[in-house]
Amino acid sequence: MMKIAIDVMGGDNAPLAPIHGGFLAAEKFGVEIVLVGPETEISRILKENGWESPKAGKLSIVHAPDVVDMHDDPARVLRQKPESSMAVALTLVRDGAADAIVSAGSTGALLSGATLICKRIRGIRRGALAPLMPSSAGKVMLVDAGANTDCTPEYLLQFAYMGSAYMEKINGVRNPRVGLVNNGAEDTKGDALRKETYALLREAGEAGRLNFVGNVEGRDVPLGACDVAVCDGFAGNVMLKTIEGTAKFMSAELKKVFKANLATKLGYLACKKGMDDFRALFDQDAIGGAPFLGIAHPVIKAHGSSNEIAFMNAARQAIAYTESGMIDEIKNNIDVMTVEKHLEK
Amino acid sequence: MVFEKLQQMIAEEFGIEPEEITMETSFMDDLEADSLDLVEMMMALEDEFDIGTISEEEAAKLKTVGDVVDLINSKS
Repeated sequence: MMKIAIDVMGGDNAPLAPIHGGFLAAEKFGVEIVLVGPETEISRILKENGWESPKAGKLSIVHAPDVVDMHDDPARVLRQKPESSMAVALTLVRDGAADAIVSAGSTGALLSGATLICKRIRGIRRGALAPLMPSSAGKVMLVDAGANTDCTPEYLLQFAYMGSAYMEKINGVRNPRVGLVNNGAEDTKGDALRKETYALLREAGEAGRLNFVGNVEGRDVPLGACDVAVCDGFAGNVMLKTIEGTAKFMSAELKKVFKANLATKLGYLACKKGMDDFRALFDQDAIGGAPFLGIAHPVIKAHGSSNEIAFMNAARQAIAYTESGMIDEIKNNIDVMTVEKHLEK
Repeated sequence: MVFEKLQQMIAEEFGIEPEEITMETSFMDDLEADSLDLVEMMMALEDEFDIGTISEEEAAKLKTVGDVVDLINSKS
């Protein structure tokens, strides 16, 4: 039975939502969910809510007394708090006691922890957070969506390779189009990072290692300009949150239109199914989480504001990512993805 | 001996040729290392050279490859 570790103390709704989500995931997917956090509290919550014995799958607890919070220094916290729920859960995955981890804790701390405990795939410089978003072309992978605030051109080139491999092998997109998120489509646009990255991506494109389609503007990403949108974690996080916020805003505005009078309400009834599908496209709870590409074990970051449904779906993502063979795919193609660097002096 | 081993480790970590690394190579300026790179390297050093734990104070003083060589020699 596949084992998914859940960091019970991660996220705004911890520990209730991760525990509830873990219970739902065990029942729905028939897997073992390892709840990592303060044992007494987890046991109490399971008992109080009658979640101790799921109808399918299994629940177990691994004790971890400490908590990583949003104020901890991401690079150091896992060394300072080895008994935190996040560190213990990552260690379970590293040691093979769990197949994957789901955490809604601090993105920076989770990336550091994943890097220091689970390790990077040999040859990969940085793990990147890579969610799939809806677009006119189906799906677009945003990489990096917030793990690395400061990036080098070499990191971005590797993100492009990993994102491209994911879309091709896992999502079945042939020859995925890779775009560089920039402040204009022309090849002269952007700051130093964008310009240097553009040159590397173009070179990789010309060598036939990537299908680089050039710079893409933020608005063109949801409009299907590319299958893999490459950016540093700062831009990626702003873009991801802007798209989520815009989608919520649009939904609320549409609702107002439909609520105007009896005729519009009847109109809503006629297209309710379509409206539900539309909302589901952007429902972050239904998406659940995103994998850290480039880490040697499956690590899934769930949204900080995840509720129990989001945790359940993040566990589904963890199962899918573990079964996908993506980590082996990167390992097997590491020769193509390795980026040489030379010192300037 | 320590230096050659370090050259190999750093080369692999940062994706550059070992010959490019000298005692004067700076982690921040030349290798563009960030805080995560440095913590990762410290942990790798602790394992590789069996020198116990490197404290925050010791780590803060490590600016160049030469500083690391000195630290390892002083601890082993």
